[in-house]
Order: sequence, then structure tokens, then C-alpha cells
Amino acid sequence: MSPEQVEDIYDAVIIGAGAAGLSAALGILRSDEVKGMKAEGHDPKLLVISKLQALRSHTGSAEGGIAASLGNIEHDDWRWHYYDTVKGGDWLSDQDAVKILAQYAPQTVVNLERSGVAFSRTEDGHIAQRKFGGHTKDYGKAPVRRAAYAADRIGHQILYALWQQCIGAGVQFAEEWYVTDLVLNDAKDKACGVVAFDTHTGKTHAIAARNVLMATGGAGRLFHTTSNSWDLTGDGMALALKAGLQLEDSEFVQFHPTGLAHTGILLSEASRGEGGILRNADGEAFMARYAPEHKDLAARDVVSRSIVAEVDAGRGVADPKDPNGPKDCVWLDMTGIDKAHMQEVLPQVVETIHDYAGLDPSKDWVAVKPTAHYTMGGIPITTEGQVYHWQDGKRHIVDSLYAAGECSCVSVHGANRLGGNSLLDACLFGTRAGEAMAQRMANEENDTGNADEQSSDAQNQSATQLAADKRKESIKTLLASSKDDNVTAETSDSDRNAAASSEQPASKDDSSSLESTTESNTDAAKDNPYQLLADLGTTMEHAVAVRCDADSIAKAQQTITDELLPRAKALRTHSETTAFNQELTAIWEVNNLIELAQAMLNASAARHESRGAFARTDFPQRDDKHFLTHSMADANGNIGWQPVHIVDMPPKSRAY
Amino acid sequence: MSEDAMHGMNVTIRIHRFTPKAEPDRARRHSSSPFGGKARGGSPFGSSPSRRRIRGKHFTQDYAIIAQPGQTVLDCLLDIKRNIDPTLAFRYSCGHGICGSDAVSINGTPTLLCTAKIEDYAKSESSQNGDASAMANKGFRLTESAENAVNNNISSTNSRNSNGSDNAGESNGSLTNQSSPSSLAVIEIAPLPGFPVLRDLIVDIDQMMNQIKKLEPYLKADGKLATTKDGKIDMFEYLQKPEELKRYELLSNCISCGVCEGSCPVYAGGEAFIGPAALIAASRFINDSRDTATDERLDAIATSDGITACQSVRACSRECPRGIDVGEEMWQLTERVKNRQA
Repeated sequence: MSPEQVEDIYDAVIIGAGAAGLSAALGILRSDEVKGMKAEGHDPKLLVISKLQALRSHTGSAEGGIAASLGNIEHDDWRWHYYDTVKGGDWLSDQDAVKILAQYAPQTVVNLERSGVAFSRTEDGHIAQRKFGGHTKDYGKAPVRRAAYAADRIGHQILYALWQQCIGAGVQFAEEWYVTDLVLNDAKDKACGVVAFDTHTGKTHAIAARNVLMATGGAGRLFHTTSNSWDLTGDGMALALKAGLQLEDSEFVQFHPTGLAHTGILLSEASRGEGGILRNADGEAFMARYAPEHKDLAARDVVSRSIVAEVDAGRGVADPKDPNGPKDCVWLDMTGIDKAHMQEVLPQVVETIHDYAGLDPSKDWVAVKPTAHYTMGGIPITTEGQVYHWQDGKRHIVDSLYAAGECSCVSVHGANRLGGNSLLDACLFGTRAGEAMAQRMANEENDTGNADEQSSDAQNQSATQLAADKRKESIKTLLASSKDDNVTAETSDSDRNAAASSEQPASKDDSSSLESTTESNTDAAKDNPYQLLADLGTTMEHAVAVRCDADSIAKAQQTITDELLPRAKALRTHSETTAFNQELTAIWEVNNLIELAQAMLNASAARHESRGAFARTDFPQRDDKHFLTHSMADANGNIGWQPVHIVDMPPKSRAY
Repeated sequence: MSEDAMHGMNVTIRIHRFTPKAEPDRARRHSSSPFGGKARGGSPFGSSPSRRRIRGKHFTQDYAIIAQPGQTVLDCLLDIKRNIDPTLAFRYSCGHGICGSDAVSINGTPTLLCTAKIEDYAKSESSQNGDASAMANKGFRLTESAENAVNNNISSTNSRNSNGSDNAGESNGSLTNQSSPSSLAVIEIAPLPGFPVLRDLIVDIDQMMNQIKKLEPYLKADGKLATTKDGKIDMFEYLQKPEELKRYELLSNCISCGVCEGSCPVYAGGEAFIGPAALIAASRFINDSRDTATDERLDAIATSDGITACQSVRACSRECPRGIDVGEEMWQLTERVKNRQA
């Protein structure tokens, strides 16, 4: 869907239509402020822009659950959830934010239920809950059933329910529009809007807005093996970097321990929650050695590193699909789970294993390996979703710019996210950001008509228009030097099949004058963003997946500067048709990923410790004296340090 | 696993492509550039393309690759994008059957690129002739004349390469265009039937989404809070028993991919029909014990282009990637509407 027309100015523009973006849209529309505005006849102009159709968002792939101390099955307490999250994050979480997360989690989950989510139920009709790694009762004493679930499709259910509510509320979408620029004012203290490219028409739009929210999701495509969809290319994070802002804790990437070997497709943590056991080549249930208490349900980073340690010790197994390949997997043994129960509570896991490994988990052991899953870091935000810039030991708010979900970092996950906390973060802080935007809109409305407001709108419009004009020029460059063998090929093919084709082929003169204008560099002409994406993924995987050291980081930095970056800058499309030119979008995406990779590597190089999901083999210990602090990386290679908010729980050792 | 598993097989991926014609205002922009001369679109007819029929070039293109039998067709198309032709356009995102973006027609069967496996759609000549069970398989069987056509296409692909006018197959050792005829298999991929084609395998799904939206696909509950016997608020969530959930749980797994619509001879045939996807979405709420708008919902579907237009062909059930028996669900709705009127 595309809007009928683009408004001169929007009250709010939301980039991204996953759980965070849609929660924010609903947060705005359900707020008392906006209800009041509507009652007075002022309908706020709201637009949700997404590079995908909303229902394709990656939120839909989340399987296991959403954490909340509802206590529907056994007694639970939000304070335990608070503690577990801080401990899981290896004390890098800002505790004020985690407190909000844990306290408002039950309300968030209940609101989702009332929005239509088809949660699994207890016999008496309450939302069902299951165990999840790192979630415990009584401050770490024993696992607790805290993850509310919908079989193993909670993400799909939440995405659909939120979208459905948005449709009911009349939210306007611009789908398959790709945001190319985040536009700030010159002082970089206020957002003016965005530039968006409509992939259907090939038109570039200046979208001026009084409020902008980034909710673009993660960046798993930085790595070769990832559970993330092909669209998780860190666009929002890179846009923030390019606009001169920072990323917080970008070096922290969670590797989910149980990616289906050689596809990276996720096998939900619920597979272990329901009784699945990891085994090495000797058949040993090795997690008992690494985490005697919680075993296979220890936090994800602990399990991922344990798997890698087993592989390094020569106790890994090869993927049966590639028996001569590297022995970099371990077994996931689910044969102890009752078959009927498995089908009942893990249908998606069973289906994935059947479809993509050709196995029956009730009989066969399944090869798994860690897969890039979640970026704990992101655009720094306050607990109200406001983006800020860390400078001179202070947070400087970027007025009218908000962020939520995986692309943001309110720092609830710290150095490692617990399962069930990502959907919670996206829905809860997405809603809060929406409410904060609504409040700002209501305040602005009181000012409407005054000179300040009008000049501010005009400023936003001219700034976004300027950026859009620049973008149009750049698009021309990307398209104009298209090496058009393809067009030639298409035309000749068209001739060949003309008899079967219902349309006459178009004129063939389009490539006549082309050869002379095309760069003669054939290597550059052959290169394409899809190859570059693959090469970047391999580079990053070797450098920083699961663990890293100074050498591996430096090597990747070198490869990027010497090889990948020049290739990225030289990329041109191979077709000049602007409509649905996926290669054009892919060029932007791979450039975004490289921007992000550089910030991530810089932050990784600067953190001389191991904490949570971040493991440096040359600095194996956590170092609270120097690094109980958030890295704040910008696009110029500067790293600032922001102290962690310790409120209730001083750092302790993190043993499972 | 068969012998093929270790070696891979030669497969020709034949794609029905479409390049939309450039819009005129683009041509104007280009006229000021030094490359303006090559811009197409001076046509006076390009100004208002109709929604249903977009102007442009239709053509088929063959890509000869080596594939593993267990690979998905999506994997193969991504290989083609990386190594042969980055201009090939098709939607894809999650890659494992959840996002619903990659519905196409493979060998005439509407399905998802990421769940379709090479071994299910490509049959080598020998196994086709020798194996009677190939009949039962949904895989494409070549007729003699189609085989000839394939060979012709391959040879023309090769000749294009030898002219150096196409980089197909040159950039990667794992890809080849030297298919030996004895192991030749063709997988034919076309856009999802019943939807206007926008570019290559990308179709316009706006119509389907509008139909889904028309039936107000969102929970309309009473807003009441459950209370205890003495009137205190007991629970904030709506209560729902597992058996109540079961009545619509499967329906709520619909991923709006459009496979059922592309399979439906009424819908894809162009008749006035709101389509199975919209009706499944409506049925999901009709069967949800929390929803209080059942009557309105049944009214909304009891129209001549609603459930009444369903001919109970049940082709919609066959390929649903979420395993929803769409046809049975349509039948239940038909019955329900009928009984209510009686």
C-alpha cells in the first residue's frame, strides 16, 4: 500500500512496521492526548513507512515467547524478572530502564492479549507461560514459567494483532518504501523528516515531519550465519550514524545457540525449555559441565560459547547434510520429549527441522550451531524513546527524534539479552515512545498557528527537500552507469519468445550509445551488492562471531577499508528501470551494513574485556573498574563512554 | 539420501520475466543528463498505466545452474542474483515460510519459493521415465516437445554467452550452462496467478490486502474485565479455554501469502470474489470466542462476491503453507451462512 498523496508535513512518521513501529503507532492513537485532539476535530497526520509490506516484518519470525511476571502458572514477581534481566545482561543494563521493563511487562502482555493475540492458554483460560533461559524465581534459585507464548509462533501472533489494530484505527502505510536519509537540522539537535524511495514507482519523496521514530529492527545480515531475515540490514542504525548520531553498545551481538546447521534458521529456545538437550560428538550432555545449575537453559551467550568450546576441543559434529564439512556443530537431542507434546507445543520447530534438515526430532538428533540473532546495541534512547547524543558526560536530546525496538538501545539487555525480552522491549518501549510523541504533538498543537511553529514546519520541509534532491542526483548516478548487457540480453530473449509473449518487445535502441559511456572497469561492472553482502558476512563472521581478539578485529577493519568499502562505493545497478529495482535497494543496504560494521568493529576494539555476549579471547575477564560503561560509537571512529545506571543491584559475578 | 545429494544436479530455472516500461517523468529527468539519449519512455501512452495491466516487456529467461536436491528454490534464485543476474526481481524475506512474501507459481503450482525444494520440482529425465511415482509427485513432467524447447533455450543461452553479451554463468565455478541432456531438468517459475504482475515475479497484492481489510480483520471484544464472584477485578486478560482457542488457532496462523488465491479458479480466474484469504481472516474472528461481532461478520461475507461465490473446488487447500484446510473452512462458512438464513 502507498499513500494516495504525500502530505506537506506529518505530525509523526514511523520508520518500520514490526512490533516496535506498530506499537508506537497504537501508542500514539490510543493516548489520551491524541484522543483529545481527535475529539476537537484535529486528526493527526501519521505515516508508517516500511521497506517491506507490514505483515512481512521480521517480528513474525519470533517463536518462543514474551516475558512477563504474570504468575499464571506459578508465583512470580517483577523484581525477579528485573534481577534476571540485569544478571543476564552481565550488569551492563541501565537498571532504571530494566525496572520499567519488568514492572510494565504484565500490562504489556495483557494489552496484547486484548488486542487479539491468540496466546496459548491454561486449562482455566489464562495466558499460558513456559520456562525460558535465564528466567528464574527467587533471584536465581530455580527456573520459572515466565514466557507467555502462542505455541511457537508468538511473533506472528503479535505482529498480526498489532497490524490488525492499526488497520482498525485507520493507520496509513507506505509499504515497500525505502528510507534513504534521516534528515536532521544543521545543529543536529532536531529531526526534520526523512527521504523515502518508493520502490514501486521509483520516485523519491521528501517526507517532512514534526516527529520521527526509527523502528527498523536489527542487523543480523552482518553475519553469514544468521537467524535474521534478508531484510535485517541495520538501516536505521546506519541512518543514525550517517546523520551524525551515535550507536550505543554496538559490539554486543547475541548468537543464538541453536541455529539449524548451515541454514542459520532458528530453532526456538523453547525446544530446550521443553526438554531438548545439547550433546557433543561423544553423546555427552555437555552443558552440565559449563552451567551445572541451569544446564541447557543457561543464558544464550553461555550456551553459544560452550558450543564453540566443545567444537574447539574436537568434540563437534559435522552437519549430516555436509558430512565432509567442518565439525562445527553439536547435537540437539529432543528425543526425550513426548512426541504428541512436541507437536502440540513446538509445531514450528518440528516443521523447520523436517523441512530444512529432513529429520524427525522425535527420533533423530539435529545438528545445530550458533547463529547471529540479536543486536543488543543500537540508537541510544531514553526510557521515553527519545534519541540522544552523548557528549561532555551528558545526554543531549535530539528533539522530535525517537527510536524503539531492536534498532534502539534503551539498554535493558545490557551485554546479553534474555529470551522473551525482545518482543517485550519492542512492544513496551514502542508504546512508550508513541505516548511520548503524542504528548509532544499535543503540546505542539497548542502552539499551532504561531510563528515559531510555522517557521519550524517550513524549516523541516526545506531541509528534507534539499536532502531529497541530493538523493535523486545520487540515484541517477547509481542507475545511469548501468552496464546494460542485461538489457541487451532481455531484448534478445524477448525476441526469441516473441511468439509466446503477449506483448511486443519494446524498442531495442536503448543500449545503442551505452558502451562508450560505461566504465571500462569490468570487475566493477560484474560486482553486485549480493556478492558484497556475502563477502561482508564472511568477513564479520570470522572476525567477531561469538568471540574475537585484537587481531581478528584489525584484520576485518583492514578488509573493509581496503576491499569491501571501495567495492561498495563502485557498485552500480545492472538495470536502469527504477520500478522494483531491488539491486538499487540492495546497494543502499550493503552500504548501510558496512557503515554499521565499522562502528561495531571500532567499539569491539575499544572494549578490553569480556562481558555477556562479547567475548575477547585476549581479555577474557569482565573488567568493572574500566568497562562498566556503554560504548558510544560514531561514524568517524570516535568512541565515547557512558556510565551504566546502577540503581538497585551492584555488579556481582554472573554464574549459571 | 540419493546419489544426487552429493553431486548436485543440472537444473534449468526458467523464469517468466517482466520489465515495466519506464514512466514518462523519469524520461524527462534523464533528458537533462548526458545519458538522456538512451532513456526509453518517450511514449505518449505511458502516462496513466492502468492498475490491472502495466505496460512493459514480457519474456522468459533460462538460467542453468547446479543445485542440490534438498536446496530450496529460493536458495537457487539467490544464487542466480549473486552470480548470474542481479536484475532478477522476486520478493523474499525470512526464507523459512513465515513472512509469506515469496508466493509464486512453480511448474504451474502456486507455492512459496522458500519451502519448495529442488528435488520436488526438478525431475531428471531418467527418473521421470522410469519412476511411476513421478506422476503422483507435483513435479513437472516434460513432454517431448517441451524437452526440445528446453534444449533450444539452453543452446541459445550458450550462444549468447559466447558472444560475450551476457555474463551468465561466467562468474562462478559452481554454475554452468553446459547441461548434459541426460540429466536435464527444468523448473519453470512464473508470477502468482490472479495477481497483476509488477516486475518479474513481483505481483501487486494490494487487491488482496484491500479485500482482507474490507472484512474488518481485528478483534472486536466487549472490553469487559473478568471479575470474581464478589465483583472484584480478577484478571485483566480475556479468558479463553484451550478448546475455544483450538477453534481458530490454525486460522490465525495464516500468513497472507496469497497461495490459496492463486490456486482458486474463481479468484485467479478473475471472477468477482473476495477470495479465500479474506474469508480465512474473517473466519479467524468469527471463531474467536472473544469476538462479539459474529453476526456482522457473517452478514459481511454472505454476499454474491463473498462466500456465495466460492465454488467449493478446494484447490485452495492443497498448497497452503500453514496447513490450513482452506476449502473445508470455506465449506464451514457456507454452511454457517446457509443455516443462519434458514
